[in-house]
Amino acid sequence: MDEAFKRWLCLGCGFLYDEALGAPEHGLAPGTRWADIPEDWRCPDCGTPKHLFEMVEIPYAVGQPAARPAREGSL
Amino acid sequence: MNPGFVLRAHARGFNRFLSTGDSSSYIGGHPDATLTRHSSFNFGPYQSGLRGFGRLRVFGDETFSGAGCGYNIHPHHNFIICAFVLKGQLTHVNTVGNIDQLGAGDYYAFSAGSGGKHCELNLRHEDANILYVWMLPDQLLLPPSYGRSHFDAVADRNRLVALVGNADGAVRISQDVKISRLSADRALELDYQPRAAEHGIYVFVVDGQAQVNDAALGARDSAGIWGAATLRIRTDAEGCDLLILETVP
Repeated sequence: MDEAFKRWLCLGCGFLYDEALGAPEHGLAPGTRWADIPEDWRCPDCGTPKHLFEMVEIPYAVGQPAARPAREGSL
Repeated sequence: MNPGFVLRAHARGFNRFLSTGDSSSYIGGHPDATLTRHSSFNFGPYQSGLRGFGRLRVFGDETFSGAGCGYNIHPHHNFIICAFVLKGQLTHVNTVGNIDQLGAGDYYAFSAGSGGKHCELNLRHEDANILYVWMLPDQLLLPPSYGRSHFDAVADRNRLVALVGNADGAVRISQDVKISRLSADRALELDYQPRAAEHGIYVFVVDGQAQVNDAALGARDSAGIWGAATLRIRTDAEGCDLLILETVP
């Protein structure tokens, strides 16, 4: 897929979902598109439903996104 | 981008939360604390109104009633959250390392950035009335930061004072939004000039009444205006207290 990865922000608390990074700690592999996340998915931090996220085109701060700590079973 | 609008006080969203039942873990205070929220923009259970204005996403006029009422500690990322205490006292604990007690005129700007938690409680028996403003940051996952300051309604009366944004004496934030306050105790006429033609202005009347360009606004009424070269604000002899929020689109 050629389309650029997008970033989605929870309007309930500010939790960020970046398609490029996924959310492995919440069972979403890197590269998981927003459209492929179930409609009943909710913000893992505050419970806000998926449809109340907003797609944002905001750049990362310097040094972000920080490398995720290696987990058991990964390199 | 929204077209311009006038939002009357009674047309805002309204929600009431109790410190018991479903919201008991989120809402502090026991027994029988009640938190009420009037929302200018969609937030939480209120989703039938405006989606925001420029970079602003939340504008909540909230009252914490009953000792201990407020929000128990909860997480945030990214949003820049400002609170302006109008009445009563707010105790604010956050993971940037602050425990603050804020009274009338005090305000803070908490940039949650890469992640933070905070707790906000009214520990007194008198009601606390607080205005909450949330805005998008200009960068994601910034280091969390916190600043607080005070608006002196007597010393600063009858002139426009910048509280938040890129201005002398204001609390700096990482977004091109400026929040100013005017507390007038006499009739006056003031021209507010946005820094750029594409900026939007959201005016919220805290107390009294004001004429803002063509709109007559009463207490807790507000208006959003795009593309105005000048905003002419007129107050009457009974005085007026209002906030002006200037935002990039």
